[in-house]
Amino acid sequence: MSGVPPLGRWLAIALALAFLGIFLVLPLLVVFTSGLAHGVGAYVAAIADPIARAAILLTLLVAAIAVPVNVVFGVTAAWAIAKFEFRGKSTLLTLIDLPFAVSPVIAGLVFILMFGSNGWFGPFLQQHHVRIVFAVPGIVLATLFVTFPFVARELIPVMQAQGREDEETALSLGATGWQTFWRVTLPNIRWGLLYGVLLCNARAMGEFGAVSVVSGHVRGLTNTIPLHVEILYNEYSYVAAFAVASLLALLALATLIGKSLLEWRQPDLRRAARGAR
Amino acid sequence: MSLALRGVSKRFGALAAVENVDLDVPTGALLALLGPSGCGKTTLLRIMAGLELPETGQVLIDGVDATDWPTRDRQIGFVFQHYALFQHMSVADNVAFGLRVRPRRSRPSAAAIQRKVDELLELVQLGSAGARYPKELSGGQRQRVALARALAVEPKLLLLDEPFGALDTQVRQELRRWLRRLHDELHVTSIFVTHDQQEAIEVADRIVVLNRGRVEQVGEPGEVYDAPASAFVHRFLGQVNELPVAWREGRAYLGPLEIPTGQAGEPRGGAAPTPPKSVALVRPHDLDILGLAEEAGPGAGAAAGPAAWPATVLAVRVIGPIVRVDLAADGRSADAPLEAEISRERFDTLRLCVGQRVSLTLRRWRLHPA
Repeated sequence: MSGVPPLGRWLAIALALAFLGIFLVLPLLVVFTSGLAHGVGAYVAAIADPIARAAILLTLLVAAIAVPVNVVFGVTAAWAIAKFEFRGKSTLLTLIDLPFAVSPVIAGLVFILMFGSNGWFGPFLQQHHVRIVFAVPGIVLATLFVTFPFVARELIPVMQAQGREDEETALSLGATGWQTFWRVTLPNIRWGLLYGVLLCNARAMGEFGAVSVVSGHVRGLTNTIPLHVEILYNEYSYVAAFAVASLLALLALATLIGKSLLEWRQPDLRRAARGAR
Repeated sequence: MSLALRGVSKRFGALAAVENVDLDVPTGALLALLGPSGCGKTTLLRIMAGLELPETGQVLIDGVDATDWPTRDRQIGFVFQHYALFQHMSVADNVAFGLRVRPRRSRPSAAAIQRKVDELLELVQLGSAGARYPKELSGGQRQRVALARALAVEPKLLLLDEPFGALDTQVRQELRRWLRRLHDELHVTSIFVTHDQQEAIEVADRIVVLNRGRVEQVGEPGEVYDAPASAFVHRFLGQVNELPVAWREGRAYLGPLEIPTGQAGEPRGGAAPTPPKSVALVRPHDLDILGLAEEAGPGAGAAAGPAAWPATVLAVRVIGPIVRVDLAADGRSADAPLEAEISRERFDTLRLCVGQRVSLTLRRWRLHPA
């Protein structure tokens, strides 16, 4: 880019930095300074509050279910798509992208329409005393839906780039399918997988829209961290709201740092990650 | 072990990759599947390995129908063009892989595996590289690791896909000779795929020439080169000059030269090829250049036509012991120069230079339907 005059170059960089500052760094600072506005005591108290603790535990539980399920699904789907030719492959790819395309609120509503008391399976579920909507299962389902593309999308380009030869070699050397997966495929995709897990986890913990629709906002029972933050904020408990929000901000920072570390450790991943978008 | 294909076909969509191939590979053979890219040679190799299923036909291993056997039960070693070494494992772990994945009852002890790995790395001349990782090796070294890894499971059949394709010329030469020696030592039935006729001739003891998914010819290297069964084989194995055959009053002519019918140079017992469409293919080293003085020598004019073909030297390239000469033969378009290959000694005697008038004779040729 030697053709661009220095002034133009500096202008472009300054513009980008200013944009990042206003839209990313400043809000982050606001979160932390507001959370700590009344001192560390108030900050800790807001997080230690039983209802806040319940929200944190629920968020962890949801992530603990959503992430492993998505790892299994993501690896399987990526494996199938990258290593085999079959009819309906492009349809499957489109379906995986669906949660990216659909508004999370709609995603939440879909589950209400399916499992709510007036939904398709509503009467059946009521007869058997199973609660899905406005309970933890609904939150898990909604989170699964919105996080579903992350691992698969991360792995497909990595696996496609690697081709099938490593696996075919393993098979020719007498390995079973299972041995081939654990000893050859998994080590080959470990960095991409970790990266996908990080992104998936961040989204699982931070999801608001879909979860908000199916949660029912029962305090101490069906509120995740983002929902709890909203309630606190609407009740004018700004310090508490920002204190709890800072946990999510910290998670975001940790995710970003983890992601950069991975990219630094594995330069190939950067290319793969770019290919995924 | 011996391997045979019976009527094997495979298509990808509308494209026929392999069509009705019959092939016998006797135990201990070193066979080359030779052909241009897209001729189906890699598909054929993958069918032998069980990595691809044929649509019709059978794969026989030691006479037993093995068409449906999975790859892992075929006791084969498969080496990919780009080696497919496991990047996250050391060289020694790569070589040990096939032994370590065996079920417990047939798996050798750790010490036995270690011994075997050392032995194999010694065999491929990488005795000290066991702890290194594939990324730290050169192309030739990676190729040898891949080979050692395949040999570790003591395969009855070794399949190699373009084994030297990704290497530079020098290393390739070396590895070719090494592979040949290795085969003479181990006697494992081996099949390799190549698009390089030189390589096939140098390494293999049998060559299968493939074209568009079909077998054109099977034979020993000398046979395939000297007695090509089709124009395709003739053209593919080395350079050729193409001379259309002209028929005048029942006699065949190449340029001004009459070619005697029933001569040794003619294909298949000298049965006269049906006029009008056939072509003579002549290898550059079968074109001889005579000085003008020699043309005037005794014998000239004894045949019905002239004994030599006048021509002009267009270009001369000296390549070590041989010399390539481009010639514009009289009566032939200048866009289609003939190429002759003569020895350095002959060249020095003739003292050829560009623009010089010479005369040509044909030592050997083969007629193919045009």
